[in-house]
Amino acid sequence: MIRISVTSVMVDDQDKALQFYTEKLGFIEKTNIPMGEHKWLTVVSPKEQNGVELLLEPLGFEPAKVFQKACKDAGMPYTMFEVEDVEKEYDRLKGLGVEFSVEPKEAGTVMFAVLDDTCGNNIQLVQTL
Amino acid sequence: MPKSKTYFEQQVDKISKEVFQPKYYYIQARQSKAFMEENLSEKIELNRIAAAAFMSRFHYIRIFKQVYGVTPREYLKGLRINKAKELLKQGLSVTQVCFDVGYESLPTFSNAFKKGTGHSPSAYQELNKSNQE
Repeated sequence: MIRISVTSVMVDDQDKALQFYTEKLGFIEKTNIPMGEHKWLTVVSPKEQNGVELLLEPLGFEPAKVFQKACKDAGMPYTMFEVEDVEKEYDRLKGLGVEFSVEPKEAGTVMFAVLDDTCGNNIQLVQTL
Repeated sequence: MPKSKTYFEQQVDKISKEVFQPKYYYIQARQSKAFMEENLSEKIELNRIAAAAFMSRFHYIRIFKQVYGVTPREYLKGLRINKAKELLKQGLSVTQVCFDVGYESLPTFSNAFKKGTGHSPSAYQELNKSNQE
């Protein structure tokens, strides 16, 4: 049966990304396989370590950089992650020096906030209300 | 000085204004969702949830689906399966989990679990045991 095993975000620097996604956001490193100049690098949620892996994908393709920058400048989130409590997570991450372009805000059935992953992306945190 | 809003946030505000239902819709739907979360180990009748949201059964189902995209019954099923996954990982017996998440019949529970996860409850438990080693 078909299933989603890996999804990815493009990052400008894999080492910096690993640090941010594990030390700040709280993911756990799962695979780290050297592949020439780059590596196959994935992280998982501590809660679902056998679940979907997030691939921190090197930004090696020039047009992708244009796309990423356009999204970043417009404040468009590249992807979103779920948390139990957006406001709490916002406070925790602010304390770690993470910058937000949208502070916790309610929209319909969700509370969300948008942060800067320091690797070229806006990332949305969501909580279903 | 307050930051200016990003293009994205402006779009969210625009959609909120144009598309979203009146706020009380969301509050009512949320209350009923919380009710399901708190009572998922019991047999929950739709009429009871609708009553908790102060709506008729028909109106309630319509609003819930509009707000969350799934019917209350589908939502409750998903909730129960997620809870069951958690309890199975903790090592509770399949029968115990079945009752703890509000199913009264083991075959019904097993079927729903298999549909939702692709594994039978016991296979799921076994899989998670071997993965933890």
